[in-house]
Amino acid sequence: MDNVREKLTQCFSLAFPKIDPGRFPEARVENLSEWDSLAHVRLLTLIGEEFAVDVDREKFESATSFQELAGHLVEEGPAA
Amino acid sequence: MRYGEALRINAQPALEGSRKRDIHLVCGFTPLHFETYLQAHLNLHFPGDEICVHTGLFNDLEGNLRRACETGSDGIVLAIEWSDLDARLGLRASAGWAARTLDDILAQVEEKTKRLEALLAAPGRATPVALIAPALALPPLVNLPPGQCSPFELQLRATLATFVSRVCGLSGVRIVSDHALAASSPPPARANPKLDLSAGFPYTLPHADAAAALCVPCLFPAESAKGIITDLDDTLWKGILGDAGSEGVTWSLEGKSQAHALYQQLLASLAGSGVLVAVASKNDPALVREAFARPDILLQPSQVFPVEAGWGAKSASVARILKAWNIGADAVVFVDDSPMELAEVKEKHPQVECLRFTPDDPAAILELLYRLRSRFGKSEVREEDRLRLASLRASAALEEAHSSEAPADFLAGLDARLTLEFANVAGDGRALELVNKTNQFNLNGRRFTELEWESYFRQPGAFAITVSYEDRFGPLGRIAVLAGRLAAERMPEESGPAVQCQVDVWVMSCRAFSRHIEFQVLKRLYEKLGAGNIEFAFETTPRNGPIEAFFGRMVTAGRPRQGLELPAADFERTCPPLFHQVIEKWTTSEKNLRSAFP
Repeated sequence: MDNVREKLTQCFSLAFPKIDPGRFPEARVENLSEWDSLAHVRLLTLIGEEFAVDVDREKFESATSFQELAGHLVEEGPAA
Repeated sequence: MRYGEALRINAQPALEGSRKRDIHLVCGFTPLHFETYLQAHLNLHFPGDEICVHTGLFNDLEGNLRRACETGSDGIVLAIEWSDLDARLGLRASAGWAARTLDDILAQVEEKTKRLEALLAAPGRATPVALIAPALALPPLVNLPPGQCSPFELQLRATLATFVSRVCGLSGVRIVSDHALAASSPPPARANPKLDLSAGFPYTLPHADAAAALCVPCLFPAESAKGIITDLDDTLWKGILGDAGSEGVTWSLEGKSQAHALYQQLLASLAGSGVLVAVASKNDPALVREAFARPDILLQPSQVFPVEAGWGAKSASVARILKAWNIGADAVVFVDDSPMELAEVKEKHPQVECLRFTPDDPAAILELLYRLRSRFGKSEVREEDRLRLASLRASAALEEAHSSEAPADFLAGLDARLTLEFANVAGDGRALELVNKTNQFNLNGRRFTELEWESYFRQPGAFAITVSYEDRFGPLGRIAVLAGRLAAERMPEESGPAVQCQVDVWVMSCRAFSRHIEFQVLKRLYEKLGAGNIEFAFETTPRNGPIEAFFGRMVTAGRPRQGLELPAADFERTCPPLFHQVIEKWTTSEKNLRSAFP
């Protein structure tokens, strides 16, 4: 889980380079104004690349928080 | 390049005091990953610089192009997709694909391409453009069996081809090669329909990466190589000249040596576009002359200079050729079939690119030919490029004659004609090209983008002198550029005291050394300005020793310093007798430059 959260934080850092990484664990679409639809596409593209998972699925596309994305990635198993 | 890597590259801060480069990405789709990759490839191309990629409005290619042209920047990447030419050619429209609709689409595309052409042809556009034509497959608009092409698609592609070929002829417009794009991004792997429908971005990541990677060198071409040195036996032709004789070596299909014919053909074509071609061969010089005299040779002897045929080390031949050409080793390619010779040259001249000719491997030969084309590729071939070889021969003849005559007598007998073109506009690209590629006689090494060069001449009092030279040994073409600023208060038609002048740029091709052209240019400038002194934005660079030596003759104490101020008296004291016939020409825009000079 820690490894997933660490890699996910790196993805968030690249997708939101101007945001303090300390905010990411609690980041949600509602509390991060930079997290718009295009930023979501960028973030999922990064996650797909970094975790080698298929992000073209409803659960990833509809995820709206760091915690939710981390949960889905843990479910994906060791590959993630 | 992985997407994460592109973002990491883009996250690197620019170096302090670095140059800012503004690039417009003009497209009708959401720029998204294409913008990211474009910025990453620009960052790699200009390490440390501050890269700003500006984008426009979704679904407004024409408006975005108009605004980018009006704003001005260091470059425009114009990425066109079918849906930009007519929305019904994209996946996001649903207006029907009936036969009558298709006719209307053809008419609309023709109109749209004409409007885009008009924007690109507008006289005010100074920004270079890299255009990438529609790269995606058309949607299934027409009912035909698999593998069959429809008249609609052919007409559509014909309209596009007409548009692209027309804008390709416009100044500063460069077209990204379909062939190169297909090599790095196969057509079936380009489209991302899901992202197109959900976010308006139609490309896969690999295609966005490949397209962006090609746009950057298209917009900012690397300096091409200038000279190629070739071996002869089993390279320029098949066979050993010393064994087979001049009639025994071959380059033909019949002689099973067509690869050599292709190589000769390429060298002849390169020579025709101004590339220097020389020979370094371990051979009998008389036999080499015989072989080059054969009527079927494809590389004419007049296209080759110098021919170094003898029995010494190839590296020594290469050294003599570099001296005759007077160009840096890093701008030269050496081709030989022998790995040993290649290694020997590489050891002595590590900056020379050494490539092997493998006569028994046609695929490798073809790859070599493509590589040479790419290494010597230029967006534009100018008259000066074609004159280069003739002027080098003239310089060699001049040097030979020089050694047997007293310098003043010799120069007086050259029948030299110097043309000074005064202008207060940027002019054609030759002056800028000269400024950006000259190292040795270069006031300060400053380089300009096309936009910066245009902007320079918008300053009050800015002017340029472009110098052409010809003598009894032949023309050298345009070989020097001086750009400076006159005191603004003297512009345009006022009389008064001597004009203050600051020279910011002064370059002269090394082909024009030893003719006292630099003295004549300064003499005319002092005379015209009536100035007691002229300020030069001189700075030493690692390679501008010749201009430092030139100023060194005139400064009374120490070495020339940054921001040199040179009194006319010091210039006159050291100016040798000059024998040029000088012709002056004037090109002015709204300002009257001529009146600024007394």
